[in-house]
Amino acid sequence: MITPFRSARLRSVNRPALLALTGAGLFLASLDAYVVVTALLPMLTSVHIAVNRPEQATPIITGFLLGYLAVMPIAGGLSDRFGRIRIFAACLALFAFGSFLTASAPSLSQLVTGRLLQGAGGGALVPAVLALAADLYPAGDRSPVLGAVSALQEIGSVLGPLWGGLVTASSFGWTWIFWLNIPAAAAIIWALWPEIRSRREERRPTHLDWIGALLATAGLALLTLALYAANPEESPVGAGFIWQAPLAIVFLALFVWYERRAAQPLINVSRFRDSSFSGSALTNAIAGAGLMVALVYIPVLANAVFSMNASGSALLLVRLMLGIPIGALLGGWLAHRLRSYRFVAALGLVLAAVGFFMLSGWNEGSLKPHLIGPLTLADGELFLTGLGLGIEIAPVSAALLDAVGEAERGAGASFLIVMRLVGMLVGFSLVAGFGLWEFHRATAHLLPPLPGLNPNFAAQFAIYTLKVKQAIFDEYHLIFRATAIALLVGAAVAAATLRPLARPRWR
Amino acid sequence: MRAASPLRVVAAGLALVMALAACGPQPPDAATLLKQSSQRMLGLKGFHFQMQITGFTGPAEPVQSAQGDAHPPDLHAKVNLKEGGILLEVEVIFNADKIYLKSFTGGWQQLTAAQVAEFFDARLLFDPQAGLFAAMRDTTAPYRGNSEKVNGHDAYPVDGVLQGPRVNQLLPLIREQGAYHATYWIESSSSNLWRARVSGNLFDASQPATIVFDFSNHDHPVSVSPPPLG
Repeated sequence: MITPFRSARLRSVNRPALLALTGAGLFLASLDAYVVVTALLPMLTSVHIAVNRPEQATPIITGFLLGYLAVMPIAGGLSDRFGRIRIFAACLALFAFGSFLTASAPSLSQLVTGRLLQGAGGGALVPAVLALAADLYPAGDRSPVLGAVSALQEIGSVLGPLWGGLVTASSFGWTWIFWLNIPAAAAIIWALWPEIRSRREERRPTHLDWIGALLATAGLALLTLALYAANPEESPVGAGFIWQAPLAIVFLALFVWYERRAAQPLINVSRFRDSSFSGSALTNAIAGAGLMVALVYIPVLANAVFSMNASGSALLLVRLMLGIPIGALLGGWLAHRLRSYRFVAALGLVLAAVGFFMLSGWNEGSLKPHLIGPLTLADGELFLTGLGLGIEIAPVSAALLDAVGEAERGAGASFLIVMRLVGMLVGFSLVAGFGLWEFHRATAHLLPPLPGLNPNFAAQFAIYTLKVKQAIFDEYHLIFRATAIALLVGAAVAAATLRPLARPRWR
Repeated sequence: MRAASPLRVVAAGLALVMALAACGPQPPDAATLLKQSSQRMLGLKGFHFQMQITGFTGPAEPVQSAQGDAHPPDLHAKVNLKEGGILLEVEVIFNADKIYLKSFTGGWQQLTAAQVAEFFDARLLFDPQAGLFAAMRDTTAPYRGNSEKVNGHDAYPVDGVLQGPRVNQLLPLIREQGAYHATYWIESSSSNLWRARVSGNLFDASQPATIVFDFSNHDHPVSVSPPPLG
């Protein structure tokens, strides 16, 4: 006999289990967000792309971000309409399928398609799990649960590069990063199967802003394409930049125009008139770009000029990644203590900028000198950069959430992630194109010596190698310095626009 | 008796047409296909090629893949070389007996014959005597299989055997000992060669490797001009 209470009781019994299972899926997907940064070279080699054509790695990174951005804004609405767990399972399956395509890719195009689908599946998980958590717990108990879900996502993305580096350096090789996702996702879906099959979940008819989502995705996709320097020897941007960039702006302008008229827009664009909202959104995007530059270029630098393997470069990056969660906690505490968002946000961005300026002075001996015990100055510089990028998170996020108010908090939280990813996408696309363009410009007349009837070949080749390394360093110095300047601009924006903390209501 | 429905009539008609088509002109035998295709490929005004080496290539063989446009002996190609586990891309131009290289950095430089011999003389691949198209005629025990789709074209696979010394002329790093298995995918109507594959223990006595050539843009004129140096 089924008692009338069974459903409710089951629900309460299953609550932690459901959250743990969906959280595990979210963690799996968040690991993969930056997992490739330490595996790029072996990935390129296995699809037969030479190391001196690194621009072809750009879509492996931008593809994932684009997929994530395309799906994330509508995933919340989809989960309203079809049920949280179903959408979760469907997107986890999509993520697993993307992983399969990536791992088995014989060509770059399949690799990029796989990453795009991974991003699309993974991006939808965040709003679905957040909404599920909000469904499962009453308003009063929700915030620690939502905090835990967000923390899981952050921890996953921080651990990703380390995980990727270790798997890549192991005898299994990089494809196992992605192969392992498939049984893990299958196990989670299998465990959730009774919930998926039962028709218990509430399904709400909701309006989905398809047109808004399509316009935004088209705009971003065109912008990514316009900025993709497929031939950096000739141009720092894409060959079709002249028509793609204006068209991207047209689509994004159409998006804003449409959102202003839509009954239930994806974002309330009138909020941009509030300088605290638009300022924190912009700051967040700049910080995202800074993080992406560090994530991609520190491992590549480690590999190209310090001759480290995947796990070595991952361990170097860990010094920076450790700073982020510590900075995040510190930033939240400081903002609360000093009752100022603008000061703490600007402080974090200035610290990160100082870190990038210090990194931009690196040379071949930079990893050597020890300061205290086993610690080197380089360790400190990397940690400082991460710490600064972490400190900015809490005050910038809080300022934006304060600006949107209680009713739109969920949308505000999604918008924060979206802006961060847009910053990552645009910032990284720009840096990748201009960095390589600069490298080609600097080495345009540096001819490699040729073997054959050349008695001085060995000596000439050694000199040539040194010159190439110097050109790579110069490219990095430029990239890190440009990032530092962008972060200082972000600090200025934060200092000028963020409103102070709202007074607690009960006073 | 029931009258035949229009559908049945149509179906029967279709079956008849298909049966007649199947009994239509028989494709040439394997040796004729090879000869015609060899002739056709040697006479082209130009074509696009892609070469990929897989399997064990050993420490001595740096070339992993190459692709480009050719009007033998002139050609312009991008070549992927493997150096200590990493791939490097270089660009080569063979034009009027001169050889040019664009390497990791900098612009084009001219190579001497001694230098190119150390590196990769891609001209040999399509040489009218030593090259692949001439080797088609030297393939023994040819056998034609059933038509297959290759890069979107109907082609007959022709299997055969190439002797080591013959393949060694194409790529001097290939072992002269033994014989290798060769397959050519040839379109009967045009005699176009769409794909060729040579496999066996090419670079090591005990480890297999495969070279695959894909061709396209048959007879599209290719003109290679000398690049600006520096």
